[in-house]
Amino acid sequence: MTMTPGVTKLALTAHVVSSVGWLGAVACFLALSVVGLTSQHAQTVRAVYLVMEPTAWFVLVPLCLASLLTGLVQSLGTKWGLFRHYWVLFKLLMNVFATIVLLMYMQTLDYFAGIAAETTVSSGDLGGLRSPSPVIHAGLALLLLLVATVLAVYKPRGLTPYGRRKQYEQRAVSQP
Amino acid sequence: MADLPPDPDSTTGTPRWVKVFGIIAVVVVLLFVILLLVGGGQHGPGRHTRSDGGHTPPVHQP
Repeated sequence: MTMTPGVTKLALTAHVVSSVGWLGAVACFLALSVVGLTSQHAQTVRAVYLVMEPTAWFVLVPLCLASLLTGLVQSLGTKWGLFRHYWVLFKLLMNVFATIVLLMYMQTLDYFAGIAAETTVSSGDLGGLRSPSPVIHAGLALLLLLVATVLAVYKPRGLTPYGRRKQYEQRAVSQP
Repeated sequence: MADLPPDPDSTTGTPRWVKVFGIIAVVVVLLFVILLLVGGGQHGPGRHTRSDGGHTPPVHQP
């Protein structure tokens, strides 16, 4: 199934907006998590974790799912296909992997926000809040999304065996 | 059926960048699976909090 040029442009715009938006949101998340890890002020640390949880639920998760969905539409509706080119396949695998890790990590963020929301937070709890885990996750996510962006821009050559077979079939049909 | 001209994509085999990406992907996925197995299938708060945090993870009621 191939989309019309107008729909293709619309789908591409949606995919770029959601994917780059996800990248930007992760960058903000990384900045927040660094502040949460390094700040010496208890109120700042608590505020950071209280902000991070809704940011993740209302920005990161929707953008992540939108990027995955629009990527599927974009690949299946154009000549690129989903399994024909290695760069598309790698982007799909990276997106699915990042989505799974993010959804699993939401449990941790909920937990951190729960501690931060308590009115009586002990110094020991603040020590627990100052975990390097959000920095590590956000840093790795940022790296992964940057690689995905580079793949999308450069579109390195390389057809999968399935892509080679499909291409051969199409050329055989067009050149009887 | 006429002879088809060779295509650069189809005759060069698997590109080097794909092999490098594949190796990195396998290593990352293996690390992820090992971490999951070590944590008993959990990737939640228990893994990410310090032992000196002194806070018990909340129990989620269904």
